[in-house]
Formats: sequence, structure tokens, C-alpha cells
Amino acid sequence: MQKKNKIIIVIPAYNEEDNILNTYNTIVEYNKKNKTNYDVIVVNDGSKDRTEEILIENKINHIKLIQNLGIGGAVQTGYKYAYENGYDIAVQYDGDGQHDVDYVKTITDPIINDEADFVIGSRFIKKDKDNFNTTFSRRMGINLISFFIKLVTKKKVYDTTSGFRAVNKDIIEFFAHDYPTEYPEPISTTQLLQKKYRLKEVPVKMKARIGGKSSIGSWKNVYYMINVIISIITVDARGRK
Amino acid sequence: MSISLRLGLVIVSLVLLIVVLMQLRKRRIPVKYSLVWMLSSLIILLIAIVPGLFVTIANYLGFVTMSNLVIAMFIFILLMISLTLTVIVSSQRKKITLLMQEVSMIKSGEK
Repeated sequence: MQKKNKIIIVIPAYNEEDNILNTYNTIVEYNKKNKTNYDVIVVNDGSKDRTEEILIENKINHIKLIQNLGIGGAVQTGYKYAYENGYDIAVQYDGDGQHDVDYVKTITDPIINDEADFVIGSRFIKKDKDNFNTTFSRRMGINLISFFIKLVTKKKVYDTTSGFRAVNKDIIEFFAHDYPTEYPEPISTTQLLQKKYRLKEVPVKMKARIGGKSSIGSWKNVYYMINVIISIITVDARGRK
Repeated sequence: MSISLRLGLVIVSLVLLIVVLMQLRKRRIPVKYSLVWMLSSLIILLIAIVPGLFVTIANYLGFVTMSNLVIAMFIFILLMISLTLTVIVSSQRKKITLLMQEVSMIKSGEK
């Protein structure tokens, strides 16, 4: 018998009143149906809408941040919770209904089988173009980030901005103490690869957003790209000193 | 360098020094952060008292007039001060984030 891994799903939520209950319920139903034991921690990132009320009414396990911290600070709070409560695997999961709970098993299995230390649920790993309706410019951006990560770490990462990922116990601890506040996905990926953690990217399907608005606005793309690329190079320079 | 510019610089330097000392006395700023301002004040005073030295530097660096060198030095000092402030703000931001996370966890009863 393999030892049972304690798995927690971390859901950062900022103004997700339209989606959060639905997202939570699909996980609960999945647990019932598949006899899995995924715990959930929602991090309410200082939402200004009814998110907090919904979380309290439905007795959803959550942490309410006293001020908005942004995605990085919110996700890190989830990792701190996972670290302090001794979880073996933490899964990062969007509150807006983009991610599919069916794939949690897909991204945690490589960790359970000790094939990888962290797993990214990737939209692009297969040449499955209709998989996810992402814009051309966004895909260009992701490829450019991918190029720089390869330059710095010599590893190819296809979906650099995917927020659907699973990490093992060591990385939970690492993230609890050090997690990038801004543009966390590509930066943390670079950091982990540089620390020689084993990455596995597995194909997953993602849904289009049900409600709400994506946090990445198109006019901010250039600014975003410049920031991310400089950050990746900085991670590299820091590692070499 | 004209006598009026030198006089002006002395006044600026003294006013800056007095303001910084007053802030120090009221404990509004720690000594650590006052040093850079006192140093600035000292440099300004030095320019006014020994302009000869700065004229040599100005000529050497290719400044046409002495006042241009003074302005350039001011800009440089201000740049260094704002860079220092950016560093301080960034480190405080990190600490505030940590503080908010910990307080939020305690308040939510998850700790």
C-alpha cells in the first residue's frame, strides 16, 4: 500500500462571487464520486463583492486577506496554510471555473509516483489547437516567455502562464517562504527549474471563463512581457552569484 | 562662480541642514536616513566655500559653466536618494505582505 498523500487545492479568489460556489461544489462532488479526499482552502484576496459572504454562508474553508495582496500574495498564503498543516501536495486552482477538477488527478499523479516535483497543467503541450481559445497575441507572449525560460534554465516549458499546477512537499515549504508577488507563474517556474526541481508538463483541457474578467488585460501585455522577461533574467543572475 | 550663487548655496545648505536636524530632534526620521541629507547639505556647502575645486572639476568634465555642474550634482544626489527610497519601499512592501498574510491567517482562525 502506498502511503496516503494529503492533497490540498488552493483557490485564490478576487471578486469571484459568480463562480466560487460552483467551483467549490464541483470539487466536493468529485470527492464524493471518486472517493478522493481533496481538501480546499480558498484565499479571499480582499474581494469587494459578495465572495466573503458566499464563503461564510456555505462554510467553505477559507482565509480572508485583510487587504488585497494580488495573485502572488494570495496564492502564497495558500501555500503557507498547506505548509503549516503538513500537506504533501498542493494544487493551485483558479476560482473562476477555468480549471477542471477531473485533471487534478492528472497533475498530482506524477508527484505521487515520484516522477516529478512539480507539475504544470498545460494547454499547449499537444498540438490541439481547439483545446483552449486563447488569443494569438497571448500565445505569442507565452512562447516568448517560454524562449527566455529555456535560455536561462535549458528546459522547455510550453504553458508558462498556466495557473493550474501541483507541487510536492519540498516546494510547498519553498513557496511558503519565497514566492514572487508579481507575475508569479513564469517566475516561480524559473526559480524551481533553477533549483533543479523536476518539472513535468501534462496536457489538460481548460474551459473558457464562465464569468468575471481575466486579470490580464490586453493593453497591459507589453508591460507584462517586459516585466516577466527582466524578472526571469534576474532570477538567473541571482542564482549565479 | 558669482558671489550671489555662492551665497544662495550657503543658504540652501544651511536651511537643508536645519530642517533635517529639526526632524531628527522630533524623532520623525532615524539617524540612518538623515545621513544622506546631511551629506548632501555638506556637499552644497563645500561647493559654496571652495568653488575653486569645483571649477577645476567642471572644466575637467567639460561643463561650460559652474552652475551646470551644480545642477548636475543636485540631479545625481536626488537620483541616489530616490533609488535608496525605492529600495526602502520595496523592503517594506515585502514586510507588509508577510504581516498581512500572517494577520489574515490568525484572524481567519487557520492558525
